Amino acid sequence: MNSESATGKKILPADLVSKKAEELDQIPDGELVAAYESFRDHEDAESGTYPNISRLYGTSLEREKDRRETRAQAETCNAEMQEWYEKARNEPCTWWLKNHLVAKHALKSCIACGVCTAQCPAAQYYPEYNPRTILDAALTQNEERLVELLKSDTLWYCGQCGSCKPKCSRENNLMGLISSLRFLAQLKGYHLCSVRGRQQYAMRHLCGGNLWNRACSLYFRNITAEGHPDFGPRYAKYQSEAEAQMVRLGANPDRPGHFGGRKLSPQTLAEFRSCLACGGTLVLWNQLEESAAEDATKNGISIDEYHIRVHREG
Amino acid sequence: MATVNLAPTTIKEIPENDFFLTPSCILGAVNPGTEVLISRIYDLLGLTWRAAGDRAESQCTCCTGFSSHGDLISIESTLLVTARLWSIAAELGLENITTACVTSFAIHTECLEMYEHEPGLHERVDRWLQQACGRRLQIPKHVVHASDIVYRYRNDLAHKLRYRLLDHETGRRLRVVDHVGCHYAKVFPEKAIGGAESCDVLAGLIRAWGGETVDYPERRHCCGMGFRQCAIRPNRGYTMACVLKKLDSMEPWQPDAILTNCPGCNLFLDKEQWAIQQMTGKTFDIPTLSYTELAGLLLGWDPYDVVGIQAHTVPVEPLLDKMGIAYDKSKEWLGKRVAGGT
Repeated sequence: MNSESATGKKILPADLVSKKAEELDQIPDGELVAAYESFRDHEDAESGTYPNISRLYGTSLEREKDRRETRAQAETCNAEMQEWYEKARNEPCTWWLKNHLVAKHALKSCIACGVCTAQCPAAQYYPEYNPRTILDAALTQNEERLVELLKSDTLWYCGQCGSCKPKCSRENNLMGLISSLRFLAQLKGYHLCSVRGRQQYAMRHLCGGNLWNRACSLYFRNITAEGHPDFGPRYAKYQSEAEAQMVRLGANPDRPGHFGGRKLSPQTLAEFRSCLACGGTLVLWNQLEESAAEDATKNGISIDEYHIRVHREG
Repeated sequence: MATVNLAPTTIKEIPENDFFLTPSCILGAVNPGTEVLISRIYDLLGLTWRAAGDRAESQCTCCTGFSSHGDLISIESTLLVTARLWSIAAELGLENITTACVTSFAIHTECLEMYEHEPGLHERVDRWLQQACGRRLQIPKHVVHASDIVYRYRNDLAHKLRYRLLDHETGRRLRVVDHVGCHYAKVFPEKAIGGAESCDVLAGLIRAWGGETVDYPERRHCCGMGFRQCAIRPNRGYTMACVLKKLDSMEPWQPDAILTNCPGCNLFLDKEQWAIQQMTGKTFDIPTLSYTELAGLLLGWDPYDVVGIQAHTVPVEPLLDKMGIAYDKSKEWLGKRVAGGT
């Protein structure tokens, strides 16, 4: 993490909430994180809730803080799997297939019966999609073909439902293989070649932001009526009252508890983050940041604008 | 048209008691009543259960499932996150993990299987877990989904019901189509009651509670949630297409309701009915309920204060009217049609 000394000027956390990423550049890492955390942990004593969480969620400030924290935690984390993934990104794709924990158990053989494709909901929706060819590319161990696959939209069509799994007479784990290859595509930066692959930068700050800050993949404020026009006016009404409705039903929006929306203690969050770091996940997240920054620069846009673009294109 | 009663072909060992409950990100975010109802049903059955930590300081975290299938998490991080939860369960003296989410069920099961198939993995994860958070890896005895527990106790619950799946005016058995979550039945079919083809985990509840099930043609088709498909706006056509395919397939049987055990399916089979109505002009208006919501309604629990039917896009009130379930009409939520109005 940046070890610059404090600016001497007191940072008011509320002032940072509306700032863009480039406006936060000059604020040292420690001060930025401290400002975020003090704002987040301000408790409304009367209600026992943390009202500022809703103001921080989804902001440039939160994304910038996350970038700096994940970079810093990866730098100080002396984890075997972190080293493994750092090494793996420079190895051929064929090496990955033989060594990655999921990929190496995913493939047995293929008799080209096509049942995986026949059962596949994605193949029914995307006419050009044929998951059997992904399996075939992996089994042929042809590096050139694998690189082409990793740079394509084809890799990103699978809905990870697993409909293919119980049908395969050879017990291949195609959904696992695809997920594993997607991980590799991102590690190598190949996802930038595909519009669907670039969407992973949206996932990095949607699910990744939730995981890092709230130890959940989805948070009740993610699913806004504006973001989900397909859910219609009844959902819009529910969402406008979501917090009150959740409390009514026994959930815990931005407050302590076991159920939906809960605010976790710093200790639980620290343990969870450490599990992510020791398992090597931060190598991927930091690579996604590097790739996004590179692509944004190439396109002459800011990282905040790039973040909006990847949510919309495709 | 023919309807069938399905018998389970896969026998699954479901523990009796002493459960460690892991919450669901999706349920917590969009169907909070459904998740809390699991704990209410466990309490009603007199079962012993705990979640991680206490209410004041919860230690419950995501299993990483949605992010894992969203291709953001290394498998080793997932192994560590589940191992941390198992370690907390073991501290509480609990060996039976019950998940609120079907993807969590598949994630925990996948982790269990990996320890069996990968030599030395147990030792490595144990070492990493100590490094990460000072905990030790302890393998649980069972991983089951909360719907497995409700299935096990379906007849006990049947004795406690105030209402049955019957039209209260005609006595007709209500026709309920099930939609079992893919990550319950397909990823590890040998761990699903009845397997992937003839899964009984929901059909068994419908039968036990007085209703009639239908083996409609696209019964096994995915709801299309797809993780990155539903999360990223330009990909959502895939989700809508899958939902439409299912609705078209079940429509000839005129189902009174759809029953689910998956947080994502409960969300999208319900919510996308509005978008489909806008796109095609076709109004299905088939209420979609989770197994805990259905149990709660039949037990006579308040539809709004306990079950949370107001979180649904397709109005549930017409189904309540059919079954003669009383509710406060002044609380009715935006009328009785999916498009709004009555």
